Amino acid sequence: MNIAWKEIKKNRAKFVILGSIIFLVSFLTFIISGLSNGLSQDNAALIKDLPDGQFYMNAEANETYNLSRIDESVQSSVLKEQKDAVAISIQMGFVNDMDDKQHSIAFVTSTDSILFESVGKGEVVLDRSLQDKGIKVGDSLTNNQFSGGFTVKGFVDQKKYSHAPVAYINIENYKEIYRVNEMQLIFVPGKEKSQVITGLQSFTNKEFLNTIPSYSAEQMSLNMIIWFLVAISGMLFAIFFYMMNVQKIGLYGILKALGVKTSRLFGMMWYQMIFITVIALALSVALSQVFTMIAPEGMPFSLTIETTFQLSIIFLIIGFIGATLSGLQIKKVEPLQAIQQGEV
Amino acid sequence: MSIFTIDEVKKTFTNGEVEEQVLNGINITLQEGEITALVGASGSGKSTILTIAAGLQRASDGKVLFQGKNMTDMNQDQIRKIRASEFGFVFQSSHLVPFLTVEEQLLLMLDVSETKMRKREQRDEVEKTLKLVDIDHRKDAYPSSLSGGEKQRVAIARAIIHKPKMLFADEPTASLDSKRSKDVMTLIRELTKTLHITTLMVTHDEEMLPYADHIITMKDGMVV
Repeated sequence: MNIAWKEIKKNRAKFVILGSIIFLVSFLTFIISGLSNGLSQDNAALIKDLPDGQFYMNAEANETYNLSRIDESVQSSVLKEQKDAVAISIQMGFVNDMDDKQHSIAFVTSTDSILFESVGKGEVVLDRSLQDKGIKVGDSLTNNQFSGGFTVKGFVDQKKYSHAPVAYINIENYKEIYRVNEMQLIFVPGKEKSQVITGLQSFTNKEFLNTIPSYSAEQMSLNMIIWFLVAISGMLFAIFFYMMNVQKIGLYGILKALGVKTSRLFGMMWYQMIFITVIALALSVALSQVFTMIAPEGMPFSLTIETTFQLSIIFLIIGFIGATLSGLQIKKVEPLQAIQQGEV
Repeated sequence: MSIFTIDEVKKTFTNGEVEEQVLNGINITLQEGEITALVGASGSGKSTILTIAAGLQRASDGKVLFQGKNMTDMNQDQIRKIRASEFGFVFQSSHLVPFLTVEEQLLLMLDVSETKMRKREQRDEVEKTLKLVDIDHRKDAYPSSLSGGEKQRVAIARAIIHKPKMLFADEPTASLDSKRSKDVMTLIRELTKTLHITTLMVTHDEEMLPYADHIITMKDGMVV
């Protein structure tokens, strides 16, 4: 006989309250996680969408790509040796549209590579978010440090850097705007171990992301919130099941006196914990996916079903540990004590 | 024929540095199919001997033999198995599971005692037992809607559904009025004789003594 289910059926209100709390905490965690991923994409989609590989910057740049200048001879020898390698530069800037409205953007330029947009002189490829601001293909954009104009050649999806839309421009135009001849970075795609190149320091994609000051600070704060929420839910599980178990000490004692195994009592508690958690998480996952669809356009929000499933598994594990720890008192229950305490 | 023997059982409780001997060498032999009543003043040790006999606590010294097997040598799980399959309990309070109906209380006991029966047979057995204690009309009721007497009848039905060899009853009529107490005792006596169960009962109510085959009086942890 499934006594765990019988108890849920009889004491619906108690279990609905517990389930609601799990639902609310897990939903909040999913939303914060969506915002964290969204902000992360907004901050560094340009880098995050690249395949695994190694970034190289000048060893004297103090791990700050803005200060990096790679010698042209080093650059050409690396690009010659590594077929897929690409030299890139990124600088924050702005462009004025045809109504003279200014837009903050991140100028990105690179040597020939399938990983970056190839653009001719005087052309620009923009992140699609600028299309929503009224810029169209064929429009002419200006920059006060550039002598000519940029003709919009097209748009690309989800290419952001430092919360600004990316603008791919030609190397020659970049050199004119920023008065530099050297590139800042070299990226070598591939999972092989990094090569030692004299005068250059190597970074994995993840290490490179962490050199972007706003990225690491922002992600650290958001990840901290997520893990705090996960830890709090674990504690909530433990506290709630502890309270429920304390209320049921007498009942556990009587069941033990009748000959019910302690393992069956644990099974009863686990069944109830899994039942409530799975239902609460299923609702939470469904609602968070609905939120993904209806989230406002400009809101940096990205929550994949994989992330929600990963977090759900963590919630189940945390819930199981919390409930089990609180259930250790079941083992200590003395049947005699329960009998002497009177009615359950 | 003797089925249960309590041999020189002693029990000492330690409270801090103070040791208190509540049982001082108890010897009792129970005959199959008979009711033995333990009587005595409060603190005489009658409930302690009942709970030791029922395997709910251990003796400090001595032997408890059930069907010739020494329960004091058994581990917790062996004692649990005996409690589940061979013993039945009726407590002062009915101690029913609050979220199970009357019928489910009995089905749970069949489940716990691992009585090998099909679902249909289990239901038939439950119905038969509920009729026996005259509570079959309340089989779908939860304990919260039962009267004190009804609860105690259900508790008795739960104690005998798995056909135990021993029935331990600790003040089974203490929470009932005089009429209901007599009804419950009549029922226990009838069941003991019909089902051939050996009963050890603690009571302080002298009106219940005529229902017992043997009366053992205890005083200061000893049989007098």
